[in-house]
Order: sequence, then C-alpha cells, then structure tokens
Amino acid sequence: MKAFEYAAPRSESEVLELLSGEAGHTEVLAGGTDLVGLMKKMIVTPDRVVSLSRVASLKKIEADSTAVRVGAMVSLDELAENPVSEFYPAIRQAIDEIASLQLRSQGTLGGELCQRPRCWYFRDGHGLLAARGKDVVEGDSRFHAIFGNAGPAKFVCPSRLAPALVALDARLRILGPHSNDETLMPLEAFYRTPKSEREREFLLDPNQFVAQVILPHPEGRLSASYEVRHGAGPEYPLVSAASSILVERGRVVEARVVLGQVAPTPWISREAIDAIVGRPVTPETAEAAGEAAASVATPLRDNEYKVRLAKVAVKRSLLKAAGLETGGF
Amino acid sequence: MAKKTHVATTINGEPMEFLCEARQSLLEVLRDNLAMTGSKEGCNNGNCGACTVLLDGQPVDSCLVLAVEAEGAEITTVEGIADDSRLHPIQQCFLEEAALQCGVCTPGFIVTAKALLDRNPTPSEHEIRFQLAGNLCRCTGYDKIIRAVQDAGKRMAAEARGASTTTNGSPARQQQKQAT
Amino acid sequence: MAQAESHPRKYKVIGTRPVRHDGADKVTGRAIYGADLRLNGMVHGKILRSPHAHAVIKSIDTSAAAKLPGVVAVTTSADFPDLQDKIADLGEGAVNLAHLGANVLAHGKALYKGHAVAAVAATSPHVAQEALSLIKVEYEPLPAVTWVLDAMKDDAPLLHDDVYTKSMGKKADKPSNIAAHIHFEKGDVEDAFAGSDLVVEREFKTASVHQGYIEPHVSTALWNQDGHLTIWTSTQGSFTARQQTAELLQVPISQVTVVPCEIGGGFGGKIAVYLEPVAAMLSRKCGRPVKMVMSRDEVFEATGPTPGSSMRVKIGATKDGKLTAGEAWLAYDAGAFPGGVIGPGCMCVFSCYEFPAARVDGYDVLDNKPKTQAYRAPGATQAAFACESVIDELAEKLGIDPIEFRLKNAAKEGTRRVDGPVYPRVGFIETLEAAKASDHWKSPLEGKNRGRGIASGYWFNIGLKSSAAANVNPDGTVSLLEGSTDIGGTRTSVAMQLAETLGITAEAVHPKVVDTDSVGYTDVTGGSRVTFATGLAAYEVGRDILRQMCERAAILWECDAAEVESVDGEFKTKDKRMTFAELAGKLSQTGGPVVGRATVNPEGPTNGFGTHIVDVEVDPDTAKVTVLRYTAIQDAGKAIHPSYVEGQMQGGAVQGIGWALNEEYVFDGEGRMANASYLDYRMPTALDVPHIDTIIVEVPNPAHPYGVRGVGETPIVPPPAAMAVAVYHATGVRMQELPMSPPKLWAAMQK
Repeated sequence: MKAFEYAAPRSESEVLELLSGEAGHTEVLAGGTDLVGLMKKMIVTPDRVVSLSRVASLKKIEADSTAVRVGAMVSLDELAENPVSEFYPAIRQAIDEIASLQLRSQGTLGGELCQRPRCWYFRDGHGLLAARGKDVVEGDSRFHAIFGNAGPAKFVCPSRLAPALVALDARLRILGPHSNDETLMPLEAFYRTPKSEREREFLLDPNQFVAQVILPHPEGRLSASYEVRHGAGPEYPLVSAASSILVERGRVVEARVVLGQVAPTPWISREAIDAIVGRPVTPETAEAAGEAAASVATPLRDNEYKVRLAKVAVKRSLLKAAGLETGGF
Repeated sequence: MAKKTHVATTINGEPMEFLCEARQSLLEVLRDNLAMTGSKEGCNNGNCGACTVLLDGQPVDSCLVLAVEAEGAEITTVEGIADDSRLHPIQQCFLEEAALQCGVCTPGFIVTAKALLDRNPTPSEHEIRFQLAGNLCRCTGYDKIIRAVQDAGKRMAAEARGASTTTNGSPARQQQKQAT
Repeated sequence: MAQAESHPRKYKVIGTRPVRHDGADKVTGRAIYGADLRLNGMVHGKILRSPHAHAVIKSIDTSAAAKLPGVVAVTTSADFPDLQDKIADLGEGAVNLAHLGANVLAHGKALYKGHAVAAVAATSPHVAQEALSLIKVEYEPLPAVTWVLDAMKDDAPLLHDDVYTKSMGKKADKPSNIAAHIHFEKGDVEDAFAGSDLVVEREFKTASVHQGYIEPHVSTALWNQDGHLTIWTSTQGSFTARQQTAELLQVPISQVTVVPCEIGGGFGGKIAVYLEPVAAMLSRKCGRPVKMVMSRDEVFEATGPTPGSSMRVKIGATKDGKLTAGEAWLAYDAGAFPGGVIGPGCMCVFSCYEFPAARVDGYDVLDNKPKTQAYRAPGATQAAFACESVIDELAEKLGIDPIEFRLKNAAKEGTRRVDGPVYPRVGFIETLEAAKASDHWKSPLEGKNRGRGIASGYWFNIGLKSSAAANVNPDGTVSLLEGSTDIGGTRTSVAMQLAETLGITAEAVHPKVVDTDSVGYTDVTGGSRVTFATGLAAYEVGRDILRQMCERAAILWECDAAEVESVDGEFKTKDKRMTFAELAGKLSQTGGPVVGRATVNPEGPTNGFGTHIVDVEVDPDTAKVTVLRYTAIQDAGKAIHPSYVEGQMQGGAVQGIGWALNEEYVFDGEGRMANASYLDYRMPTALDVPHIDTIIVEVPNPAHPYGVRGVGETPIVPPPAAMAVAVYHATGVRMQELPMSPPKLWAAMQK
C-alpha cells in the first residue's frame, strides 16, 4: 500500500475541510471493506484518507412520519436489525443475502453504495473502462453488462442495495465544500455511465461525500429483492432485481422495477414497469414483466445467460413483493 | 519511513498502545507489531475470514481495518478466547469433534463462532452455515465445524444455566455429553 | 516389511478418537505457521511478476528499486547457477531442475501471467511492494494459449524451443507443446469393441482448478555468514524442499536445513518450491533473514493448479452387463513446464473395473498457465469424471442398476489394471455393498427437479520413505520424532500406532515434527502415505523399543531376554510382570535411555476405493444446483482415528463439489487469469453444502500391520461424476464439462 496521511475528523464540516477538490488526492473511508482492498492492490492511491468513523451524526437512524434518514456510517447489520427496516423489505432482504457476518457488521450503507465495480479488469489495474471496453469485449465478459453497455463502460454497478434503494425512491444527502452546498439527489441520478477514465461511476465531486440516505415512507408500497448467485456464499450476485409496487383493488397501480449487476448503473426497467402496471401480480404477469425487461438487453459474447437471469430475477422479485411463491430457491 | 501514529486500544482485556503507519491493517499490526500471530492472513481481502477479530464486540475481517481506526476500540482475538486455565467451550468442541485439520482457518472460525453464539447459543444448522459463510475452510468440508459450533452453543447455554447452581461446569458438561 | 497380523483385531488405541496432540495450540492461535515466524533483523521479500501470459523478457533494470531507502537486496535469475537439464528424483516424482529453476524465476521468457521475474527484500513489506514498481522490465509480448487442444495444434504458440514430444521412449524431431505421449494397451481392443452389444463414447472437458489451501505460500531464509542456509517454511516435504533448494542454488544438501512450520493446507500444491530459493538468494545478498509471503492473487496466478483437460472415453459392454473394452484419450495441460499429472490420470481412468481389453493414450501438454501441480489424487478426478459418466450411461442404457453394473465389473483381488499391476486384496466391492445398504441409497428421493447420482473412484496411495525415532521417558511416556509434516492430524494417527504397539495410551506419546537435521529422511506428506508409511515406521519404532525394553526387563529379572514377553503394555515372564511405565522408570538402572528408531520404504500402492452418493435439486429457471444430501463411502483399510478419516472424506467431497459446480480458472483474451481472488474463484462455503455423511469400510491392507490404506486423496475422485449423474437425473442433461456452473448447465438445458 502507498503511504498516505490519515485523518479522523469529528464533524461533517471537518470532513469537508479535509477533502481535496483534486481527483485522486483524497479518499473517504467508511467501513473499509472495499477501499482498503483497493489501496492494497494500489488500484487507488490517495495521498490522504479521511475517515468518517468518528463523525457521530453519520451513525444515526432518524425516522419521522414522512421519511427515514439513515446515516452513511450505519452498518448493514444495524440497518437490517433496526425496526424501521420492516417497512422496507427490499432493503432487509438485500442485506440478508450478504452471507458474511464480518462484511455485514463492518460494511456501511454509504460505503455499500459507493463501492467500486467488481469488474476483474478494473481490479487488475486496467482502469474502470479497461482499455475503453476492449478488454471486456475481447476477453471474458460473463459477468459484465447486458444493458447500457453500448459505450466503453461494460462493468456493472456492484452495489447490492442500490436496486432496492432506487426502487424505494431513496435520495442521498450529499455535502460539499461550501456551507450551502448540500444536495438532495435521487439515488437513481447519483450513478452514471462514465465515458472516459476521467469520470467516476457516480456523480460525486472529489470534495463531496454522501452523508445520509433518505427513504420516503413506503405508504403502503410492497417491496422485495431477489438475487441470483452461483453459490450461496458472500459472492456477488450474477443478477438481482428489486421491485416496489403499490397494489390497489388487486391491481398494480404504481411500480418500480430495478435490476442490479446488469448495467454500469442500477437499471430501472421501464419495460417491466409498463408490463406490470394495471395488472394483478400473478406468475404470468410477473413472467411477462421479466420478458419485457429482458427484451431490450444487449448481451456481450459471454453473458447471454444473464439475460435469462434478468427475466427470472424480475419475475421473482415481483412475486416476492406481492407475497407469492417465487419458485426456485 | 512513513509517519507513525500512536493508537491506544484494549486487546483481550488489556490496555495496549502501539505505533503504526496509517497504511498498516489491524491484522498486520496484531501480527507484526504486537506479535499476536493467532489471527491468520488467508486472502488479505475480506474473502476468507481467517483474520476475524471482534472489534467492539462485532466480528470484522481485521485485514480490512486500518489499525489507526482501532483507536479507543476493544479488540478480542483468538488469543483472548480461552480463560486462563481452561479452553472456551467452542475450542473444546473443536478439539473433541475434530473440527480442524490444517488449523489455519480455525482461529477465524472460533472468533466468528463466538460472535454468533454470544448472540444466540442455540442457532439452527442453517443459521450457523449462514453466519460462518464468510469463513473459508478448505480441509474439513465444514461438517464437523458446524456440529462443533452447535454443540458448543449447547454447552455454553448449559454452563450459563449451571453457573448459578454449581461451582464448575462439569455436571452441565456431562449432561450435555449424554444429550449429544 | 511387517507381516499383516490376523484380522479383525481388538485394539485399545486404534479406532478411538483422542484429542489431537497439537490441538490446544491450534485452537488458541499459538501454533506457529510459516507466516507466524519472527526472527531478529528479519526483512521482507516480494516478487515482481509478469503481467503477460507469454512474453520475451528483453531486459530487467533493478537499479532504481535498489536505491529506494529500505531496500536491502534485489535479485533476478541472473544470480542463480545455470542449470543444465538435470533430473532430480524428488520422491514422489522426478523433476527437471532447469525447468524448476525457470519456474522459480523466469529465464528469458515469462510463460504465464504471474511468472516470477525479479525479487526485492526491504525493511517492510510495504517498502518492498513500492520497490517492485520501480523495477523496469521490457517485455515483448507473444501470443498465448491456455486451452489444451489449442496448445496441441501445429501452429500453436510454442512455449519452449527445447521440448520435444517423448513417446514410447522416442523423441520427436521438432519442438512441440506436447511434452509427452503415454500409451497403455491390454488385449485386442478392436476385437473386444466389435464383440460388444453396446458401446458408448463421449467427450469431456474440465477447467483448471486450484488446491485452494487457505494459507498462502510462505518461506523465510537465513543464509548465515558461515555459509549455512536455514529455511523455515510451510511445506508438504521438508526433505524435498531441502533437496530442491540445494539443487537450485548448487550447494550441498548438508549446507541446508529446512525447518517445517505448521502448514495451512497443501493438497499437493506445497511440494514444489517457489519462494525458498529466492528468499535464500536475497538473504545471501543482505546477510539477514528474509521472509516472503505470497498474496492470494499470487497463489492463484503462480502456483498450483491442477490440469484442465480434454478427454474422450469409449466403453463397450455386453447386454448382460459385462464390460468388454475401454478406450481413453486424455490430454491434460501441464502448464508452463513439462511433467503434469497425465501419467496417473492414464493409470486411473479404468482402474475401478475389470476390462478384458483397453487402450489408453495420454498427452502432457504445455500451455501458458502456471506449472500444474498435484491436487489430491492428481489426474484421477478428471479421468473418473469421464469414465464414471460413461459407466452410468451404459448402465442406464442396459437397464441395469448402477451399483449392480459396477458390482458385475468391479476390480478385485487378481484384477490386472490396464497399465499392468495386479491388485492384491482391495475393498472396492465392499464400498459398493455399503452404498447399496446405506440409508441414503435406500431412501427414495422425492420432489421435482431433483436427481440422485452415484460414482466411484480410485487412487493408488503410495508408500515411500519414512523415518521416525522415539525416546522412552522415565514417567512411561514416549517422545516421538517424525519427519512427516502434519497437514491434517497425522501426528495423532502416527502416534496412535506407536501407542498401540507399545500398549500405552495415545496421550502418552508426544509426537513432534522436526527439521531435516533431526530425523531420518522422510518423503513428502502426499500420496495419502503418512498414516500408512510413517505409521508403519512408528510401528517399527515401537517394536524396536519393545525389544530393548524386554532386554532391560531381563536384566532386572536376571533372566534371558527371550523369556520376557511384552503384551498390552506389560512385560512378563512366567511369574513376573511389570507395566511399561514401571519399567520405563527403571531404565537408568539397566543401562540408560532407550531410543527406538526405524526407517521404512514400503513399495507399491495401498489402493483406495470410494463410492459417493449425492442428491441435488436444480432450479429449472436459473440452472443453479443445490446439493441436498451427500454420502461418501470409502475403504480405509483400518481407520486409525475415525474422526480424521471422516474429515478427509468430507473435505475431499466438498472440494469435489466445488470442482463440479463452480471452480475454474477464467482466462481473458490474452491468456491472463481474470479471477485470481477467492471472491471470484468461488470455493464452497459452509452455506453451499449439506452435512457430508460418511461410511468407513475397513478391508485391511495386507501390507500394513494394522491394515492401514491411506485415505486422503480418494474422496475427491468420485464427486464430479456423481454430481453430473445427479444433475442428469434432475434435468435430463448429461453434462460433459466442468464446472457445471449455472450458465453452462442452462445452455445445455436449452438444447
């Protein structure tokens, strides 16, 4: 690991003072489960690491009648065990899929959302776009994007919670260097598909950080997450989906269907949403929504299988949200 | 030489201060600076659990914790699991039930199992498998580890019950042996 | 060699389950593994590795690295002696030293991603890592090849220009990636196929998989100013590590001491040296102890894997279920240097059955992967996947129960293997009978998308050289010194045999694994040999002690030594008796200490057979396979410590499940391993598998006094085939490719 300066500020404003506006100079440390590994492999080589671990305000969960505000430093375990997560089954289920006691108690909500892609070319030092996509296209692309992959970015957004949070209309409270620089950004707008190595995969300036995740009250919406993995361990899913639905008189009147691990960003499937809205959730309509989601996929050479999984994940997340048998296991 | 930071912690109940570089992981400091080599390095990337320690009671992969972050923390390592003169029931069950072969993953399993059983001494087989899925073992096929953790939980529960009525754990233990 | 005693026998120690002698140290974190070693003045070494799968190394400039503050030594292959094609016998196999040396540090060409190119030692591992980035290497990348059939093509990128195909004792006239061709034949194969009622021929392929031991390779070397080199390492064989290191450095073996530390798993992958000679060279240059520890990605990229393979197996049978003929064509990759495990693969492919006629062709093929190493029954698992899959299909097509079909053709005493040897008493039939009688096989499997599979497997198990010595203590205990490094509890299984022989308790024996200066030559911990061969040495040590103790008793009793008998821990004549402990307390009065010693070198295999049953469920929408139930059955000969025998069976089964379902080396478009982390390589976790039930069958090995056969390797042989059969019954698809990962299975299910 390259040597760096470590800072453990006590307040949000002190954090901001320590963050540099220059890309690559500072890194924000949350639980460390991703950043420390990246620094060990010298994929990330900051001059200064600013730890959020001493900022008490970032560790709170606050709820009122309209929303729940979860501090970025709340651990995944704390969130899953907090009573508020009962209102958001999609979140709790996504955390419950992370089969590692260690990573759940160590990993934080903010860190989970800001983790860097698992793309093995990126992790081997070939850059986020891995030779502008050439390494992926000519190499092994089995785990890469099946949507939104026309540009040089072929990696998939690694966050396991982002699909659920996007489905639940979560917003981020992002703080910046100026006193009035507080942004409330819908999570779906936070992620982007970079077009060059200079761009990161999320809209966060080097001197900004994520302080809170704001979850609007579900107001009767049902939600669920579903992951398809190779095995049962702590590995990343091949494909995941989260659905949030509002059902009135037996029919879906409003829906959010978001796929994970399929595109450089969480992938909101308009096609699946159009297919399920206005219909009851049944195995047939859920399947049709899955088919609709998959219909616009553009798989690479090695990942046709993920298109299949996208259908299954959408179907099962809808059935699970509606409290029906999903099939499979 | 990179600048060093002073860190004050409590390790296995004893106040412990050390100097470390910011880039050193807690695992590295435990092993190289403090000569506590019970926590093992298997992957140095949070995928194998061999370095698991309890940080303020929570199991963490110490390879992914910067040692400077441990300022003020209470740390329990595998060296702190046994009493002065007696192995912890988890350790005892690992031995009696042959739940280790090469033994290099064993410290991580024991620490993780302690975190699990301290929360819930009677987990189901599935719960144990789920909670230990962050710890890799390549020798045992996990079978005997799962059974040892399950039996250790029963012993811990029996010892907790027996603590008020007997001065040592042996009657409860014998009872438990018959039950299993 | 000792004669077999009559069976069955009543034992006092053998067959019990004592707590292992090194147990308390291992559950408290006190045991010292290789990486736990700390020496005064120790510095840290790191290796610079090739980012290319195949490249000419045009130049290496280490000058900037050497100047970095904290760096104390730098080395490349230029510092090492030039080794001709000298062949060294390493006990479990011979090795070409020039190749071994070029694997340790590349000579002129990098042959796989991760191939060692240069090394540095520095005062901290972080400084060493920084120094690596200052070494300038100029590469000329070459095309790479990572699939065995591609590597065999005439126009394939050639790895070595001095490797010529060796076939039937002849050497080809132009260099080739095919390093060797092996051929066995028994009977008239064409005739036998012509006389078959049914012939099934199938093609198979398997991916490279890694042994996956949790402890990375590690080595610490101190080349003292007096010229003596001491190496502390985690190795399966301290004597072979000593020999390899001495040969690569061209120093006499007496100048090298290898101190084996506790070892965190090996499975065959910790026999070849990687770090030892490099740490030694760095130590010689800086005059300090140098410790080197691999990272996990280095372990994946530069050590181990077992071969990827392409196989074709054809088997004929009569309609009443007798095998008529077999033909196998096996190509295994050897990785970057010749000498893979094709030999045992060829010998094992048909080893479970009586074939009137058979032919086997095998190819050892070079490609741009790390030099392949042994992995638990090396070469047998791939071959069994192919053979057992065809056997199952034949049984099905003939309408015969798969166990009955195997029983009709099972290898037994007197069966001649295709490669020549004739089996003595073996226990294959007994494993099949035990499978048939098992609760698992007798319980019907219910539910949709579920299937049950059964398959068998064979591994030789070897003998080889072991030494041991033991000192009788005045309190009636015995200190046992042995040279076999203990990977899975063999201190205890060896000590128990000495205890049984002496008639004392297991706890009264104190076993210690000692360095190469402190015990006689002992071959590697491999080939499932330690409990068998080192156990045999312990038995002989016990007999040596008993003989001497009888003489001491005779001195005390003033009688002839021949009148003294030793039975169950007692010495007696017609009218006198004394316990072992009593006599041990009187040794100083009768001439001083008693030390027993033995060296053994049993030849020939001890023949381990196993049969596994598995139930799976396949998600029809995702093709994900879940293992529901698993039973492993094996002939152990005699289970010395049944818990550790079960542990071997369970561990092997789960490694086999990983091989079957998920594990594989993934290579990118330029031949570089892409998934060199546990996260991406996907070994089974506790959550991926059910309990593994075990049934130990005991058909005593006639070549061991207690009947031991060795058990470590056989359990990995049947699982992939058993899993493939179970998946077939769940889905209707016969998978002929490993791993049967969801994408591959799903693609097959669409056809």
